[in-house]
Amino acid sequence: MPFLLLFWEYFKIGLFTIGGGYVMLPMVMQVVEKHGWVASEELLNFVGIAESTPGPFAINLATFIGMQVGKETSLGLFGGFLGAIVATVGVVLPSLVIIIVVTKLLLKFKSNKYVQGVLGGIKPVVWGLILSAIVTVGCAVVLPNLDTANITSQGFDKFSWVSLIIMVALLVLSRVRLGKKKIHPILLILLSAVAGVVVFGVCKVPI
Amino acid sequence: MKKVSLWQLFIAFFKIGAFTFGGGYAMIAVIEQALVENKKWITSEFMMDMVVVAESTPGVIAVNMATGVGYQKRGVIGAIVATLGVVLPSFLLICGLSFVIDSFGNNYWYKAAFAGIRCCVVVLIFNAFVKLGKQVDKNLFNLILVACAFGVSVFTNFNVIYLIMIGAVVGVVFYCCTPIGSKLLPPADQTEEEVDK
Repeated sequence: MPFLLLFWEYFKIGLFTIGGGYVMLPMVMQVVEKHGWVASEELLNFVGIAESTPGPFAINLATFIGMQVGKETSLGLFGGFLGAIVATVGVVLPSLVIIIVVTKLLLKFKSNKYVQGVLGGIKPVVWGLILSAIVTVGCAVVLPNLDTANITSQGFDKFSWVSLIIMVALLVLSRVRLGKKKIHPILLILLSAVAGVVVFGVCKVPI
Repeated sequence: MKKVSLWQLFIAFFKIGAFTFGGGYAMIAVIEQALVENKKWITSEFMMDMVVVAESTPGVIAVNMATGVGYQKRGVIGAIVATLGVVLPSFLLICGLSFVIDSFGNNYWYKAAFAGIRCCVVVLIFNAFVKLGKQVDKNLFNLILVACAFGVSVFTNFNVIYLIMIGAVVGVVFYCCTPIGSKLLPPADQTEEEVDK
């Protein structure tokens, strides 16, 4: 039953995401790969879309994946909507329940030493997971044949210099300040899309 | 604090969901302006407390904020209505967008543009990493955890949820049961004082 699986996986993701949107990404990548829900390239495309559309990033991602999974079932379009609803409800439900309980005990909750101990252990782990997401996603872009969990020499056959150069240029752009403000992520995504069209489209560099 | 109808709650959070890009922290600023300054539904103290709770409980920060404010104003129904409001705009938009993606997915220019956008996604994740790093003290205990989580996650297929659970257990043991760890935690009464301000 794909919908039950979708709900359960997203419920777990919602339950273990502490610290917001991007923390969810390593979990989503793993689950999507495990069940073969969406091609990893498509998932990365969608991260770009989720960042440049309104609404919480993580909800956008859940709705999209739910939609894609649901459409593959025999229910077709209706299945797509059902999948989107199931994934979104799944990801929101744990926090809905937890927040209602915690808001009641607000002050006690914050200064509880066990809560602080749990957070003290989770935060560095989550930080390490995001670091690993940079490496896995970076490898997927620059070395498309490499599987970091199973490194073989074939993984290094294809090396996309052009992607690496675009990536470094965007990184520099995103860290410099123009006047007081940093460049807005949506502008950065638009610039990267233009760079992609020029380099891979007009100049016909193989992707 | 004012009385608020369910419909007002829904509309307020629907707008917040529809006009905030990027979610999470971007949304906190918008919620603050809309609900604390303009509508005066919640005090800025309550807002600050909610931000801390939203960050330290599971789930999407923006959704947690909506649930908390909704519950504060109208109880459980309020929590559900506010959460629905903040989620619905992206839900509808993404459902629509997914058709567009399906019909353009094999277009030559679409593929070229997204090959560029994927480079940008790496940069976005990197920036999220830098931002989150500000909340993590660079002490030996934390750095060991970061290194272990990183290594296991990159080079194996070990379930990342188990990694987070292990982190929670290690954190409780270290901070609550060892003498070095308990010194690192701020004393409970000091935290209470900060809250009262």
